[in-house]
Amino acid sequence: MRRYAYAIPYWLWIGLFVIAPIILIVYYSFFDIEGHFSLVNYETFFTPVYLRMTFNSFWYAFLITAISLLIAYPTAYLLTKTKHKQLWLLLIILPTWVNLLLKAYAFLGLFGTYGAVNALFEALGIGTKQLLFTDFSFVFVSVYIFIPFMILPIFNALEKLNPSLIDAARDLGANEWTTFRRVIFPLTLDGVKAGCQAVFIPSLSLFMLTRLIAGNRVITLGTAVEQHFLVTQNWGMGATIAVFLMIAMASIMALTGNKKWGVRQ
Amino acid sequence: MDDRVIIRFDHVTKQYDDDLPVLDDVSFEIERGKFYTLLGPSGCGKTTILRLVAGFIEPTKGDIYFHGKRINNVPANKRQVNTVFQDYALFPHLNVFENVAFGLRIKKMPKADIERKVKEALRFVNLEGYEQRAIHEMSGGQRQRVAIARAIVNEPDVLLLDEPLSALDLKLRTEMQYELRELQRRLGITFIFVTHDQEEALAMSDEIFVLNKGKIQQRGTPKDIYDEPVNRFVADFIGESNIITGTMIDDFVVEFANQQFTCVDHGFAKNEQVDIVIRPEDLELTTVERGKLRVRVDSVLFRGVHYELCCYDTHGNEWLVHSTKKADIGEEIGLHFEPEAIHVMKQSGGE
Amino acid sequence: MKVSRLYLAFVFFVLYMPIFYLIYYSFNSGGTMHHFESFTLDWYKEVFADTRLLVIVLHTMIIALLSSSLATIIGVFGAIAIYYAKHRWKQTLLTLNNILIVSPDVIIGASFLILFTIAGIQLGFTSVLLSHIAFSIPIVVLMVLPKLQEMSPTLIDAARDLGANEWNVLTKVVLPYITPGIFAGFFMALTYSLDDFAVTFFVTGNGFSTLSVEIYSRARQGISLSVNALSTLLFLFTLFLVVVYYVMTQRTSVKGGQK
Ligand SMILES: Nc1ncnc2c1ncn2[C@@H]1O[C@H](COP(=O)(O)OP(=O)(O)OP(=O)(O)O)[C@@H](O)[C@H]1O
Ligand SMILES: [Mg+2]
Repeated sequence: MRRYAYAIPYWLWIGLFVIAPIILIVYYSFFDIEGHFSLVNYETFFTPVYLRMTFNSFWYAFLITAISLLIAYPTAYLLTKTKHKQLWLLLIILPTWVNLLLKAYAFLGLFGTYGAVNALFEALGIGTKQLLFTDFSFVFVSVYIFIPFMILPIFNALEKLNPSLIDAARDLGANEWTTFRRVIFPLTLDGVKAGCQAVFIPSLSLFMLTRLIAGNRVITLGTAVEQHFLVTQNWGMGATIAVFLMIAMASIMALTGNKKWGVRQ
Repeated sequence: MDDRVIIRFDHVTKQYDDDLPVLDDVSFEIERGKFYTLLGPSGCGKTTILRLVAGFIEPTKGDIYFHGKRINNVPANKRQVNTVFQDYALFPHLNVFENVAFGLRIKKMPKADIERKVKEALRFVNLEGYEQRAIHEMSGGQRQRVAIARAIVNEPDVLLLDEPLSALDLKLRTEMQYELRELQRRLGITFIFVTHDQEEALAMSDEIFVLNKGKIQQRGTPKDIYDEPVNRFVADFIGESNIITGTMIDDFVVEFANQQFTCVDHGFAKNEQVDIVIRPEDLELTTVERGKLRVRVDSVLFRGVHYELCCYDTHGNEWLVHSTKKADIGEEIGLHFEPEAIHVMKQSGGE
Repeated sequence: MKVSRLYLAFVFFVLYMPIFYLIYYSFNSGGTMHHFESFTLDWYKEVFADTRLLVIVLHTMIIALLSSSLATIIGVFGAIAIYYAKHRWKQTLLTLNNILIVSPDVIIGASFLILFTIAGIQLGFTSVLLSHIAFSIPIVVLMVLPKLQEMSPTLIDAARDLGANEWNVLTKVVLPYITPGIFAGFFMALTYSLDDFAVTFFVTGNGFSTLSVEIYSRARQGISLSVNALSTLLFLFTLFLVVVYYVMTQRTSVKGGQK
């Protein structure tokens, strides 16, 4: 097995589809729309329009991650306490296997002016609200879509937790809250980090939702990349934004200390 | 060359990276049909020797001979040696039968022969009727026997066993010690057995190699090693003993605890500093007047067959005594011993 | 206890509400997603009469099956190569492997678009297939590698000790041992491929489309209940896949003798 011939396709994949694309993106970011070498894209990126967009992207990504975490942690915790927890977990995962587009599409109906949610609001006497094409609906749908990816790693971390540690903490006189704060949460931090990564990075670059649900009210970096590559054909500018997205991604990975893929699990 | 020799290590050194050598210039011979034990503390290089014999690793320096042929670069699958691993290494995706048949299937042996041989091997280890069991349905002792069957079915010249009993409880362990020894007699092949349990080594072996820090400290029969340890390490590792320093005054005269005693050792330089070993069971309780040493009893433990007394002499040396007689704590007693009970060893150094 | 049950029930309700909402209105003769007029199967008939849509479904399936099979083969060997790699290379290889997993879809899509344009590969079936293989490989590796690492290295020693050469070791010990991981990798790759929208959206040309892309363009034009009917069918298909996967893993794990 020490001869590596069998892995040649894999090495080719690393070269062609991992390394080459990164180099190409960086390379293209140095060309303006006419194909001349220049730094104009980077200048553009540092204008208020793009800085604002960057700030917005991060702000929404942060909101989505934070809300997901707030909802996901208790859910994961309660799931570990249920009977048949593997079955319940499967039910959490199942919606992620339903096409993303279909879920977004469902909210077009649910949040519509005459949709189910507004019908409920009517019944409760709150009255019909404009739900679609607002920041709220964007964040809500994003959380809806990403939350299983937050629940899963936290659930796994909680499952790995040695139950006698909790008994030990209780034995040493810690009450339930202290046990959670001093023992359970710190020990599941890796799961939390993994979940935050799995939610924050994709939500930085959502573009389909911004179009379908937010009706272009929210423009994220992802939307801008799509716009430049597929609509205005300004690949250089798109590549420049992509470069900054990659930098952001790399820093997040470094920040959350990616020990997850270490040699030992 | 002696054709009873089956394996020979010739100045073998094994070193990982730039660390200290794990095995340091080791030479020895293994003869056909004997039960050998490698004994030593954790990390002393026992497994390393087995892995070198099996062919999982190659020596950094020196040569390994098998039937007189140098085999340094012969891969494991081409060697007439089989291993019973410390964790058994049974294939979890195969049942008992298929585990045992693994080596035979690789050799492309006819089906009928495989069937016969596997059955025979399983009968040998008292596991008839377990053929279709999954590995996880077997107990620790049964797994170990599957591992043995899987190795012996290939009829190796040498069977290597890496602490195969360490995971078993005391009763099963004693049982398996008998079974293993019996198995080796019946098969008549060479066993190299690794353990860090000295009692196990003494009970089972034809010959013991005591290892420490990558060097062989002493080799010999269990009796040799127990009765004539060559240095402090071996004396200490093999059984409980009283070890104190002393001076060789002359041939047959040794001084320790500020007294001179007759002994049976000779050939040391005059006034050479030596280590003295006296086994606790060679010390006899007696009255103060009749004893060669005068000690005060510090603690008494009942050990079932005997009492274990911990005593101190007037110079503060500790003396461990195994005796069927009881003494009271604080009592002054005498200790008697024969000149043969005194083992004099050179300080430091092995064989 | 009561509160926690309510909380979980609420989470599950929200999680499944949109899916059942879609399914419910796929039987609505009214043509909207808010007023249920009467039961009809017209939308399903429309789906099955829509040859363009059926061709797209077929394409999606072909892409998913082909890409996940190829990615599984490449990924399994990649995982084995990483497993055997020298310690100091391991981390680097893992990092390279995971780049595509953590990269946002838009970046993958955009960079592949550049790559295919430069390489002169026509956007369409080939480019979509290649992209799906490319983003599925690291998933397979990640599903297989833990299985390899959990395998005791003495198992390989034992096989060699019993006379197995490298090929025997691979086919008789390593591959059987990691089979559950290979299955998991294949199914993950399959779902990733079926589910992908963003990458495909970038690298698909005019003539070729997958379901996700098609649904996107239909959804942008507003609500059409044939999309609902389609999603019901897809949901059932997903359920079917889950059951198949579940049964398969149950079987291999029983055979493998592990819990
Ligand atoms: N692959 C390796 N790389 C570096 N050092 C190693 C390697 N394998 C073993 N060693 C070192 O070699 C020394 C001897 O190891 P070995 O496994 O032979 O010990 P042992 O006598 O079998 O101990 P134990 O009774 O604990 O099994 C140890 O210090 C160990 O750390
Ligand atoms: Mg060992």
